[in-house]
Formats: sequence, structure tokens, C-alpha cells
Amino acid sequence: MGDTVAIRIENLSKTFGRRAKRRVHAVKNISLEIQTGQVYGFLGPNGAGKTTTIRMLLDLIRPTTGDAYIYDRHVRREHDVLRRVGALVEGAAFYNFLTGRKNLEVLARTANDYDPIRIEMLLAQVGLAHRADQRVNGYSTGMKQRLGLAAALLGDPDLLILDEPTNGLDPGGMHEVREFVRNLADEHGKTVFLSSHLLGEIEQVCDRVAIINLGEIVREGAVQDLLEGKTHLRVEAAPLDKAAAILGEFWPVTTNTQWLTISAARDDAPHMVRRLVENGVDVFQITSQRQTLEEYFLSVVREGTGDA
Amino acid sequence: MRDLFRAEWLKIAGNRWVAGCLVWIFPLGAVLFVIVAALILALSGSARDGFREDGPVLWTDQAVGVWNFPSNPVGRLVLLGFTAVVFAGEYQWQTWKSIVPRNRRAALIVVKFVALGAFVVVAFVLMSILWTLGWGMLSEIAGASYGPKLTGDVLAEFGEDYALQASLTFTATIIAAGYAALAGMVTRSILGGVLAGFVLTFVESGLIFGLMLVGWLLDIPRIVHVYRFTPGYNLLNVTSWINDNVPLNMEPSEEGVFAGIIFSDSLVFSLVVLAAWVLGLIALTSGLFQRQDITS
Repeated sequence: MGDTVAIRIENLSKTFGRRAKRRVHAVKNISLEIQTGQVYGFLGPNGAGKTTTIRMLLDLIRPTTGDAYIYDRHVRREHDVLRRVGALVEGAAFYNFLTGRKNLEVLARTANDYDPIRIEMLLAQVGLAHRADQRVNGYSTGMKQRLGLAAALLGDPDLLILDEPTNGLDPGGMHEVREFVRNLADEHGKTVFLSSHLLGEIEQVCDRVAIINLGEIVREGAVQDLLEGKTHLRVEAAPLDKAAAILGEFWPVTTNTQWLTISAARDDAPHMVRRLVENGVDVFQITSQRQTLEEYFLSVVREGTGDA
Repeated sequence: MRDLFRAEWLKIAGNRWVAGCLVWIFPLGAVLFVIVAALILALSGSARDGFREDGPVLWTDQAVGVWNFPSNPVGRLVLLGFTAVVFAGEYQWQTWKSIVPRNRRAALIVVKFVALGAFVVVAFVLMSILWTLGWGMLSEIAGASYGPKLTGDVLAEFGEDYALQASLTFTATIIAAGYAALAGMVTRSILGGVLAGFVLTFVESGLIFGLMLVGWLLDIPRIVHVYRFTPGYNLLNVTSWINDNVPLNMEPSEEGVFAGIIFSDSLVFSLVVLAAWVLGLIALTSGLFQRQDITS
């Protein structure tokens, strides 16, 4: 193969609607580059532009401006490159009147890549072998999602684009998918572009993330780098209101019924204790905590919407 | 392309309810008709007498005549519905997003037309076999003759007529399918495809009157010549050439400003126009799909 870049997006924009009043700028001039072998997280609130971007990558939607490349080949002009891609977009959709197995056969034949042995293997891999000959009509959401994952893996793709792959799965199923995705990258050298609302999931699985908000990429980087130095201190003290007022003069404070969360470094702890004690506040405990991706994501999104 | 065709065939045949109600209903209807007629003939002597009095039944006519079914309004509406499901169903089931990345859009559209046409042809070949055998059985019950005898000449002539009539019906079906496909893809709805497809078919058949009205109002009688380029006229002209070996010689009106205008076109002209319609509709549907955003 020899490809080092799996996905390259250059100044991609998408505007829906022709009339000025109805015009929606779903994606605004975004650029990204995703190296092969990575699990790349794509985060954003609802309506941020994640699915529109994914649809442009899969040649389902024409970009208004900009270009998308997969393995250095233009997605729109060299559509065949999408044979190297497996995708699950916005929930699995199937021909409900066909069985799970027939659905996979239809999809494989559509790509001129029908291999019954591989279908059998994938059905077993996603735990649907025993229900493969039942119509999809009778499948639960979770089963459809599993079948969607099997469909995405049909052609043994080099790149997987998964939009909310754990939707509808039970906790056990979600865990399996996380392990499965990580394994695809670690053991098989696949690249995975993963969009999810479940930030814990992204944090556990992804090497890098991009955060998209209001159609724009607002942060991009390795998960470790983004969260590095993003610690906060949890202060348990009494009276809590008084403590919040004192510390609030120096650091951003988030109050809770039992403790305060202070956006500050570990080195600030002695100063805090001194100020609180000098003002007659009893300090029970101060702990330093690393910010989670979820907290980081929320702070970034709030920044973007002016809610900070 | 063979795999792609097989995929489309699996989808069409696998949708048993739709294929049953909109395609297999033709051969099933033929079987049902024959069973009912056989019962009546078996039970009623006067019915048998009437059958014999109606004159000799020719299996060649029965086999070829079946292919006229899709041309009548009910048959056409049913096939429009079938086409709309094949094309607009992908929007309704949200399955375009799963198949578009797997192959070129133009190929996906062309194969839909081919598979749909092939499915209809298979259904009508089956229907014509059942219908022809059924009429043989009815003739036997009624004690009537069922000719002509199988000879080399009869078979050769029958083969030619059958192939021409089947091709004509196939062409008419593809053109009607083109209307329904276009409408289904624009409206992204099965019902929209059926309704708009039927309106387009209806408008086409009534176009001559519209052209005459415009020609009369604007005093441009030659405008009616536009009708010569419609599929409906050319299908009739080809039929006339096949059956009687003469052009249709259609006169919009013998009186007034249109007096003296006669449409009399060669077989080649009509075949070219029909081919242009078939290719044009497929190209238009494909072109439209090429530019369409798959948003759900």
C-alpha cells in the first residue's frame, strides 16, 4: 500500500439551501489530515456538521467548496477509492424484507465483491450467525447496528468510517465494539474514523480527535496532548458558599453541593488552603484531578457558543 | 456488472409483497382466469358452444397478445408503481447511503433499469407460456381447434412476431419506467413517483390535443409535428409497421388549420426516436442522481 495519509480534507464546506433566508452553512471550510493506522475521533454536538462531513467523505453529498481525498485519491473524481472504505453512517439501514445474510450479499455484490465465506465469518464475528436467516424486519436496533458493522467490514476495508457505531448497543456490546475498533488498528493496521457522542468511548479508543462545532474544527490533536496540563482541583470545605466566594476572586470556580471544582494547577493548592484558613473556612480535602475529554469537550463547545 | 445485476435482482425479487402485487400478479391473474374459464366451460354446455362459435383460437395470437397487457392504463399504472418502488424505495428505506459508496452512481441507475426490464420480461414470458397453455386447455375442454400446427414456417413467423412485440412492450415499459424513475427520484417518494409518473404518461398521451390548441391559438399549425417525437406516437407507428407493414398515417384533424397534415414516418425514424427516448431518460435519471445529495 505505502499510503501514509488515509484521509485528507482541504477547505471543505457545505451549504444547504439556495435562498439566503433558508441557507444553512453546515460545514465551514474545514481541513483535516488523518494518518493511516490511527483511530481518529470526530466529536461535536448535534448539528455540528459531523455527519455532513462524513457524507462528503463518502461521496454521498457534494461539497460546496473544497476537496476530500482518501489515500490521496479524490473521492468525487476517483470514486473507486471508496472500495477501500467501509462505512456505517447515521444508524444502519437495510432492506427490511431481506434476511441479514441476503442484505450482506446484496451489499457485497453491489461492490462486485461477493464472498460467502467472508459473510459467514462476519456474521459470526458480530454475533448474528444464529439470526442470519431471519428478515431484518424482526431485528432489534442493536442487532441492526451489529449487522451494520458487519456490512462496513465486508470488503476487508483499509479505512473504516463509523458514525455513532455503538448506538443501540447494550453496555456489553459497546465494550465489544470499543475493543474491536482498537484491535482493528493495533492488530490489523486499519484506520478508523469514529464519530460519537460518547466521549468516554472516544477517550478510551482514539489516538487523536477533532472537535467540530457550528461547522468548524475548533480543536484538533492527540488526546494526550489536548488533555495535558488540563487539571483541576476539587476542594471540600465548609462553609462551601464562603469558600466559593473567596476562591472565585482568583480562579474559575464551579460549585457543587458537596465540593468546588477549581480550574487551577496543582501548585495553586497551598495558596488556596492559606486563603481559606485565613478567612475562617475549614478545609477537609483538596485533590488534583485530570480533566476528562468530556469536560474538555464541554469547555471548548461552550467557548465556541459564548457560554463559557 | 453481473454481480451488480444480481444484487438488484435479489432486491426486486426479495421484496415479495411488491413483486407479487405489481409483477407476478400478471401471470397469476392469467392462471386464475384460465382456472375460472375452465370451470365454466366444464360445467356449462352453452359456454362450450359459445367458445366454439367464436371461431378458431390461435395459440400464436394468444402468446403474442399477452404482451399488450402493459400498454393498457391499468397495466401501465401497476408497472409505474413497481418502478417507483425500485427507484424511490431506496430513499424511503434510506439504503442509498449504504450502496452509493460501493459503486458508481451511473452504474447503480443503469442496472436498476436493466434489472427492472428483465424482471418484467421474465414475468410476461411466463405469463405468455401459461396463457397459451391455458387457452390450449380451454380449447380442449370446449372441443375447439387450437392451431396453427407447429411447422418450421409457423415457428419462424411466430418467433419474429413474438420478439418484435416483446421488444416493443419492453421499450414502452422502460419509457414508462423512465418517467416513474425521474419522478420518484425528484420527489424521493414512492407515491410521488407513481403519481408524477402517471401524470407524465397521461400528459404525453394527451399532448396532441395540447399542441393542436396551441397551434390553433397562435396560428402555427406546424407545431403539431412535435407529436411525432413522442414515444406514444412512435410505439403506434412501429406497431403499424410490424402488423401491416405500412406507416401509421395519422391525421391530427381533417379540417381547419390542420387539414393536410399527416404524420407518416418510416420504421427507422420511429426506432431512432424510441431509442433516443430510452437512452435519454436513462441518461437524465442518471445525471440527476449524479448531482443529488443523499442526505438521509
